[in-house]
Amino acid sequence: MKKKEPPRTVHRPPSGYISVVPLGHIKEDVLRVVADSIQGVLRLPVDVTPEVGLPESAFMSARNQYNVLDLIKFLESNHAGPSLKVLGVTAKDIANPILTYVFGTAFMDGKAAVVSTARLQLSVNGELVSREQFLERVVKAAIHEIGHTFNIPHCHKDHCVMRASNSLTELDEKMSYLCDYCELFLAEAVGDALRTRSAQTRQAESG
Amino acid sequence: MGRKNRFMVVDDELIVRESLAAWLEKENATVDRAESGEQALDFMERNLYDILFVDIKMPGMGGFGLLEKVKQFYPTTVVVIITAYGTVDHAVKAMKLGADDFLVKPFDPEGLGLLVTKLLEHKRLLEEKEYLKDEVIRVRGKTDEIIGQSPQMTALFEQIMEIAPTESSVLLLGETGTGKELIARAIHANSKRLGGPFVPINCGAIPESLMESEIFGYEKGSFTGAVRPKKGLIEVAEGGTLFLDEVGEITPKMQVDLLRVLQDRTFFRVGGVEPLKADFRLISATHRDLNHEVAAGNFRQDFFYRVNVITLRVPPLRERRDDIPLLVMHFLKRFARETNRNVDSLSEQAMKILTDYDWPGNVRELENVIERAVVTSRKRVITGDAFAYLNPLQVCVPQGNSPRTLEEAEIAHIRRILDEEEWNISRAAKVLDVDRTTLHKKIRKYGLQR
Repeated sequence: MKKKEPPRTVHRPPSGYISVVPLGHIKEDVLRVVADSIQGVLRLPVDVTPEVGLPESAFMSARNQYNVLDLIKFLESNHAGPSLKVLGVTAKDIANPILTYVFGTAFMDGKAAVVSTARLQLSVNGELVSREQFLERVVKAAIHEIGHTFNIPHCHKDHCVMRASNSLTELDEKMSYLCDYCELFLAEAVGDALRTRSAQTRQAESG
Repeated sequence: MGRKNRFMVVDDELIVRESLAAWLEKENATVDRAESGEQALDFMERNLYDILFVDIKMPGMGGFGLLEKVKQFYPTTVVVIITAYGTVDHAVKAMKLGADDFLVKPFDPEGLGLLVTKLLEHKRLLEEKEYLKDEVIRVRGKTDEIIGQSPQMTALFEQIMEIAPTESSVLLLGETGTGKELIARAIHANSKRLGGPFVPINCGAIPESLMESEIFGYEKGSFTGAVRPKKGLIEVAEGGTLFLDEVGEITPKMQVDLLRVLQDRTFFRVGGVEPLKADFRLISATHRDLNHEVAAGNFRQDFFYRVNVITLRVPPLRERRDDIPLLVMHFLKRFARETNRNVDSLSEQAMKILTDYDWPGNVRELENVIERAVVTSRKRVITGDAFAYLNPLQVCVPQGNSPRTLEEAEIAHIRRILDEEEWNISRAAKVLDVDRTTLHKKIRKYGLQR
């Protein structure tokens, strides 16, 4: 009998940089590809935390969806810890009170972001897309939302990952990385965030 | 990079305000949030908005009340009404009241993205329409768009209406910046040649070597570089009006050539052998004293008689000071719109500085001064400080009736700040750095009234 392989994603205690939090069950390959991609873009260590359940209060029964704003607040209050930013990944369908659905949401300069894989598995015709295409979509949504948490707005240049994508077609059309400008702004924002955090740590230690 | 758009979400529900604002902020826009129509109007006094997203059901004036006010006072601001599912009849009413579009909650994110793009384009077109309306008025040069109610300008308008229908050549005399081209356009617009072109030539700006080919045109091969024939401005002006600005700068040789055209009504292109028919009305303008130039031998007498059949004198601005406030408000409105600034009036002191100034550069100088003031102003009301550079003495040296006692100075200062802040007590108190109660007491004590 074949021995079951242990999961390759290592759940370490948060290092204080970026945390990826599975909200409900998420397959290992999804978490790994999200963590690796964010680590590659931000050049910061990314930790994957153990799975946490979705808060029932965020469920909108009339719409059979989770309120993404509540999920963001939930992550900020309970799972941010010492991390610079937290990204929640869920397989449940998410929306906010004014939009029928979203692939992901983050507040500009916010602490937490959430992406959902629920609508990323099918093509525009309703057929199942390849695992490769699905993972690419998840990566795009994750980098896009993390970008917003570092105050990077929507980009209108070519096919930058920060371009707004309100449909699967738009999501498929863009690249899974940032354009030169957004990359520059992101590097600056990450540097600022690290400096601010160092200053706060020093202040706390001396105080 | 383009200008950053500014939106406002007006909704009494925090969750709607926050979620819509968060979505819009990612479009690199500045987004303000207001929880009532009253608060939204307060924000609109300070900032210009591209799009307002307004919920219908709100306490106070409500979405319909706000919509009416916005369309009345800020017609180029786009308003999108937000309604809940099942209240589409409200949306219909909103569209009748002038709303630009509506959204039914919850809306499709793809639709919202397309709507914002469409509405920003709509807003750009609205602004372009306003600009083009002004431009058409400027090009057509209607007399009722030349600003002035002074006796001098009234007399000038009467003269324009009298001479416009004739075919006689007109000479406009006036200092630089008095608006001679505008008068020329007004004559053209009221003449039988309105359907034809109005062709202005600034004789002082065209190099002498190019003047001949510019005015008469040329045939192919007439000189090196003439690879194809070109129409001269005389031909372009066929059936319309030719306006020779700064006619005093024309060389004697060109005066002879033009004289021949005016006498024979025919001309030749440079290098051409076929005589061409000239069909234009001539209006000339100069800031020079042409009688003196003729006497000095710099201007040909016969050409002078040809261009000077009818003479109109355009008065300098210092001779018609009554028109300054009208012109100021006209330019203020125009530049506020063109530069997207929320500026709409001048303080009494500022207007006094402008009416007392001598304006050596005339209306053009006034136009530039107002543009500068609008661009640099951070308040709705432009104060005297913005024009201090025009006549520093006037601002620094106390006048005969200026306050002498401390109390008089306090009254004058409080009144000035209240006027500047349009008698908004909170804002005035903030500027004066006192609390509202203190300011109310002072107003009562000194019997100040709006």
